[in-house]
Amino acid sequence: MGKVKQKDLILYSGLIILGLAAPYLFSAFKVQLTYLCVLIVLAMTWNLQGGEMGYNSFGNILFYGLGMYLTASVQVGMFFPLAEWTESGGEKTFVHTTAQYFQGIGVGLLVAAIIPALVAGAIGYAILGLRGHYFAICTLGLGIAAGEIAGGIEIIGAGQGFTTPPFPAEIVDPEARGKFFYFTSFIVLVLAFIFVKYIYGSRFRLILNAIRDNEDKAEAMGIQTMKYKIVGWMVSAFFCGLAGGIMGGLIGYIDSTDVAFDGREMGVFMVLMAILGGKGTLWGPIIGATLFHFFKEGLWTFILGWQYVALGVLIVVIVIYFPEGLMGWLREKYPERFGEVVDEKDRKSQVELK
Amino acid sequence: MNKIAKLFITFISALTLTLTSITSSFAKVEGDMIVLGSAISLTGKYSSNGVHTQNGYNMAVDRINSMGGVKVGGKSYKFEIIYYDDESNPKRAAQLAERLIKQDGVHYMLGPYSSGLTKAIAPVTEKYKIPMVEANGASRSLFTKGYKYLFAVLSPANQYLEVAIDLAVEKNGGKGVKIAQAFEQDAFSQDVRLGILDAAKRTGSKIIIDDKLPKELNDMAATLAKVKATKPDVLVVSGHTKGALTAIRQISEMKVDVPMLAMTHCDAAKLSKQHGKKSEYALCASQWHKNLSYKDKFFGGGKKYDKDFKKEFGYAPPYQSAESSAALLVFKDAFERANSFDRDKVRDALKATDMQTFYGNIKFGPGGQNIAKPMILFQVRCKGDSCENKVVAPTKWASDKFFHPIPPWSERG
Repeated sequence: MGKVKQKDLILYSGLIILGLAAPYLFSAFKVQLTYLCVLIVLAMTWNLQGGEMGYNSFGNILFYGLGMYLTASVQVGMFFPLAEWTESGGEKTFVHTTAQYFQGIGVGLLVAAIIPALVAGAIGYAILGLRGHYFAICTLGLGIAAGEIAGGIEIIGAGQGFTTPPFPAEIVDPEARGKFFYFTSFIVLVLAFIFVKYIYGSRFRLILNAIRDNEDKAEAMGIQTMKYKIVGWMVSAFFCGLAGGIMGGLIGYIDSTDVAFDGREMGVFMVLMAILGGKGTLWGPIIGATLFHFFKEGLWTFILGWQYVALGVLIVVIVIYFPEGLMGWLREKYPERFGEVVDEKDRKSQVELK
Repeated sequence: MNKIAKLFITFISALTLTLTSITSSFAKVEGDMIVLGSAISLTGKYSSNGVHTQNGYNMAVDRINSMGGVKVGGKSYKFEIIYYDDESNPKRAAQLAERLIKQDGVHYMLGPYSSGLTKAIAPVTEKYKIPMVEANGASRSLFTKGYKYLFAVLSPANQYLEVAIDLAVEKNGGKGVKIAQAFEQDAFSQDVRLGILDAAKRTGSKIIIDDKLPKELNDMAATLAKVKATKPDVLVVSGHTKGALTAIRQISEMKVDVPMLAMTHCDAAKLSKQHGKKSEYALCASQWHKNLSYKDKFFGGGKKYDKDFKKEFGYAPPYQSAESSAALLVFKDAFERANSFDRDKVRDALKATDMQTFYGNIKFGPGGQNIAKPMILFQVRCKGDSCENKVVAPTKWASDKFFHPIPPWSERG
């Protein structure tokens, strides 16, 4: 046991050092790195429902978009009248001072974490009684509906979109903005990882697994499944909201359906990444998100106009050859590495059978 | 344990090596190439207009390069454009702008298609002080943000259809009219809407239907049913190419009679070709028309541009292509006047632009919008089965009289 921990320690400290050094090592790639952190957070927290609990949610994008609008609204609303900021045409110019900007985004992110979690609780109470496909379809509707509703609310810019406050001009260093958003997203990533890791070592995960494997039996055993399902979703919503808030500030412009409630891209990506890496594992979504991001950034520009075709092919390949994701595939190939005891005789006899 | 550490070190060093080599392989001016960057919608809902934009850029690059290129400091340079596909998504566009500037080392940008995407890119170019000449972001709010590096060769969106309302009021004997309007929920169309609201206030007109339509506009039957019931004097629709096509398709299917129909994006949607007689009498706002009398030495006039473009790409150039071509003429002119590749000098030269192109006069206002060029209105008119866009306003270029009111469907063949 002690040995394993030491190994982990090296791994984690290595990753943290890499994470802290990354924006300096790959200075030109800060924005992509920030995206990567956000994608990992989304995949990891999606995995809590989709992977551990067996509830495939397409609705997590709702919390992401909500977090985005909330952060921006709070950041503006704390210092200026929000309605005038987003007023179509935007004739007036408001400028945040450095202190206002950071105070605003700080409070904004806090709100963006808490409110989506509460919303998840409320919605979860209503719809987590649905199971399987019904739940998936229902959550799909949530994201789409939210986008259309947000596109009609004047105070957050409606169809015109919402330009988030520009990074304070008093900070002259053009790299500062990239660093700020990178480190914020990295901190959120680390927090999310610690939390998910903690869940993985707790009884809570076992309960989620029990729900996935057989919800009726779990209930029969006296587990209040509803409670745990709701809490699980709230955890996801908490981090999705944070991720959305960061992305809103980074992109600088929020559009209701294309940026915030972007179910067509982000909403699908988070599912895809978790499945690519292997759902129901701690590292699967992280590896999946990283590979996906590299694939997307590296390959897409070479096949201009055909990237979605390539993505489609990738999905087909994943589903056919890696139905359990990369982690699942590795696990099957090298079960010893995953701490599974394999009976050599049994394995041999299986080989012979073939 | 050792293994992991070693693996780590190899991985990181390999990554560092590749990434650093990528970053340094591009520069703003390479040999005799001036590298421009652009995120363009090649896929997604704006893909057709994205391609119009790209064709316009490419046409101008070829033309300028073949006619001697850009002369800076006594040397001749050629334009080259790095394109990325922004998938019609503002999030992607902002990311790609960052990538063009930081990784590809681009120092001069060309705009994307649509106001929304330009809104997402402008903060990035502004942050890195990269001059951007854009040809397809017309939203007024782009020009009120105090951007210093953004230059638009087109007139702002709120001017698109204001004139149409004036025309309607004029035909109504100077009295206010009843307006029905439906706009897609995106930055551009909503700005067109603001223009109509202003015009309505100014002329004492009443807005009786004010609908917002979803993006990827494929159905507006509900709005049209209301139009049928309330009989407004003018119906205004704006929703990029798809909006124009959907409107004509459903108006003719539902036989909606309205005395005047004002729209945007008719030429980008190739309305007169795709819908033929069904699109007749539609009044369309346009930034450009081939019959205008502007001239320059690269493309000659509008008619010659139209001919050359048709030859190269096989379809008549919509104004989106024309304005995109003009963007490169502006860049060339600015480089030569600045006689330098210093970004701030180029920016100052852009600011001082005052020129005529085949597309129109170009002079930038304080916010970066083009203030030297009026919008025009054309009307689709048919002879037999062949339909054409005829300029009806402003009177200086009008080739035909504005036909009003539109005859009811029962009298149309």
